[in-house]
Amino acid sequence: MRRINWFAWLWFTLGALYFVLPLWGTLIFSLQKRRGVLSLDAYSAALGDPRFVETFVFSNFMAICTILASLLLIVPTAYWVHLHLPRWRPVVEFVSLLPFVIPAIVLVFGFIKLYSKPIVLLGIPLFPSLTTSNLSTNLLLIAGYTVLSLPYMYRAVDNGLRAMDVGTLTEAAQSLGAGWWTILWRVILPNLRTALLSGALLTFAIVVGELTIATFLARPAFGPYLALLGNHRAYEPAALAIVSFLLTWVAMGLIDRVTRGTRDVVAGSH
Amino acid sequence: MPFLQLANVRKLYPNAAAAAVENFSLDVEAGEFVSLLGPSGCGKTTTLRMIAGFETLTAGQIVMDGKAIEEMRPNQRNIGMVFQSYALFPNMTVADNIGFGLSVGGSAKAAIQQRVREMLALIKLEELGARYPYQLSGGQQQRVALARALAIRPKLLLLDEPLSALDAKIRVALRNDIRAIQRKLGITTLYVTHDQEEALSLSDRVVVMNHGLIEQVGNPFEIYNFPRTTYVAQFVGTLNLLDAVVVEPTAGSVQIQGQPAHTTSLAGCSQGEQIRLALRPELLALKSTGQADENRLAGVVETIAFLGAVVRIQVRVGEALLALDEFNNPQLAVPAVGSPVFVYFARSSCLKLL
Ligand SMILES: Nc1ncnc2c1ncn2[C@@H]1O[C@H](COP(=O)(O)OP(=O)(O)OP(=O)(O)O)[C@@H](O)[C@H]1O
Ligand SMILES: [Mg+2]
Repeated sequence: MRRINWFAWLWFTLGALYFVLPLWGTLIFSLQKRRGVLSLDAYSAALGDPRFVETFVFSNFMAICTILASLLLIVPTAYWVHLHLPRWRPVVEFVSLLPFVIPAIVLVFGFIKLYSKPIVLLGIPLFPSLTTSNLSTNLLLIAGYTVLSLPYMYRAVDNGLRAMDVGTLTEAAQSLGAGWWTILWRVILPNLRTALLSGALLTFAIVVGELTIATFLARPAFGPYLALLGNHRAYEPAALAIVSFLLTWVAMGLIDRVTRGTRDVVAGSH
Repeated sequence: MPFLQLANVRKLYPNAAAAAVENFSLDVEAGEFVSLLGPSGCGKTTTLRMIAGFETLTAGQIVMDGKAIEEMRPNQRNIGMVFQSYALFPNMTVADNIGFGLSVGGSAKAAIQQRVREMLALIKLEELGARYPYQLSGGQQQRVALARALAIRPKLLLLDEPLSALDAKIRVALRNDIRAIQRKLGITTLYVTHDQEEALSLSDRVVVMNHGLIEQVGNPFEIYNFPRTTYVAQFVGTLNLLDAVVVEPTAGSVQIQGQPAHTTSLAGCSQGEQIRLALRPELLALKSTGQADENRLAGVVETIAFLGAVVRIQVRVGEALLALDEFNNPQLAVPAVGSPVFVYFARSSCLKLL
């Protein structure tokens, strides 16, 4: 018994060191902007940069738009597949995983190639060039982010739908006079709350740090700013890395809180 | 004109070899409580779902309250439905569940609250309006589901095995409550079950189904005492089936395992015909002597089983095995296994089956 415990602790410690040491190193390094003493100079410099605030706000706004767009796209789709096309579930699942296989760089070049010129089909102009104005380029950016978030969002929604009896709940609501939108809005969505929150937070994390698509669409996003900063400064990127770690942890804590609060409801409903 | 009329309804699922429901015709009067009874897979749920609008008909018509409904969407039919799995909305309180249909229909808040209170009183759960479904027992959840279905004042109530997820005691209590509520509201009700006791004890009429077809429709008394087919007879209660040979059709005399007997139901039979007779265990008696017009078969006791209120004795008569029930009491003289006995039964208790 003792030896097994000892080994377990050894591996645990090794694993912990593997994760903690680089983080610790980064933290110490980020505190050494002023020679010889530990200080928060790097943090105040990084956070005080107006470009930081600007790009951070922009990326957060894009993240919110992305979450809304992917919810609008995925929730009705996944619901419909669950309800009427259960045999197509593996296919849809496969499609949702494609962003893992297709690099973001391919996606963004595809976007630029397709949408930088006005699209004309059989002589009818469908829509103008989307890369010429900031607004329309932002739409492209959101579209790209939505694709990137697809695996996480779809999985989260799919899991949420699996955890409830979608078919019977739908029929119960129908027999009480509800139409599709009422059912989606008042029955399905509220029961997906937990799933949606974790999907949304993951999407948030991805979008805020995303580099490739934002760079090639030339939008003032946080990812490119971080990369740029890394090329010119030493201490500030370390400080921002620590800050983003903290943000991630806060997000994970939030997921945990939210899921723990509602787990009883879901489990108890069966 | 009946309130609900199903005419030659047929359902063939895509890629299915045989129809799930075939040539199903049934008239249900307003306020009637009708059960669909049959074994698993006989098409009970399918029939109910076609009435509710969750399945399309392959052929046939359904008319409710003078209107053809088979083309209507489920949310326009105004039919209440109770599911085996309760299907309460987990995100809503009991009160919100019950009020859901009215709120979807655009009723005023005060009217909804009033109706919810009425419904909670009806199911005797006044205290539990603020709870969530996961905080209720199965029986309470099913009561709420019933209240939710009734809150919209549906024209028709459909219940699909509402009690089969509950344990035996609650099942009996709740089924009596369902019947009492149904009588009080006078709502036309279709009830699906595979439990013959449930169907017989609850219903005004029972529809016995087999492989998508109706075997027999009748009130519980008819179904139990005068089953038309072997299938119905076997499905509803325990039954002894005896092969017999017709000796003299007009006199009603037959031979059972080489012993003479009489029956009152030999109309249309010819001499020497092989027929099948049905005998309920509770109509047989072990006696040393009987009335002159009673049938008497000689046999040997094979097994004895105490089932509480009754003692079930199996007697071998030739090749056949007869089960018979005696009411249990401390004075009951139970014969020993292996002893020769006489089984007596009335001529009229022996039914010829199709
Ligand atoms: N969606 C479906 N697609 C194809 N076949 C189906 C479908 N639903 C039911 N069936 C078939 O139709 C037949 C009748 O099914 P149904 O569910 O109506 O039976 P049931 O009498 O309700 O049985 P149980 O007592 O088990 O609930 C069965 O053979 C079943 O396999
Ligand atoms: Mg069924």
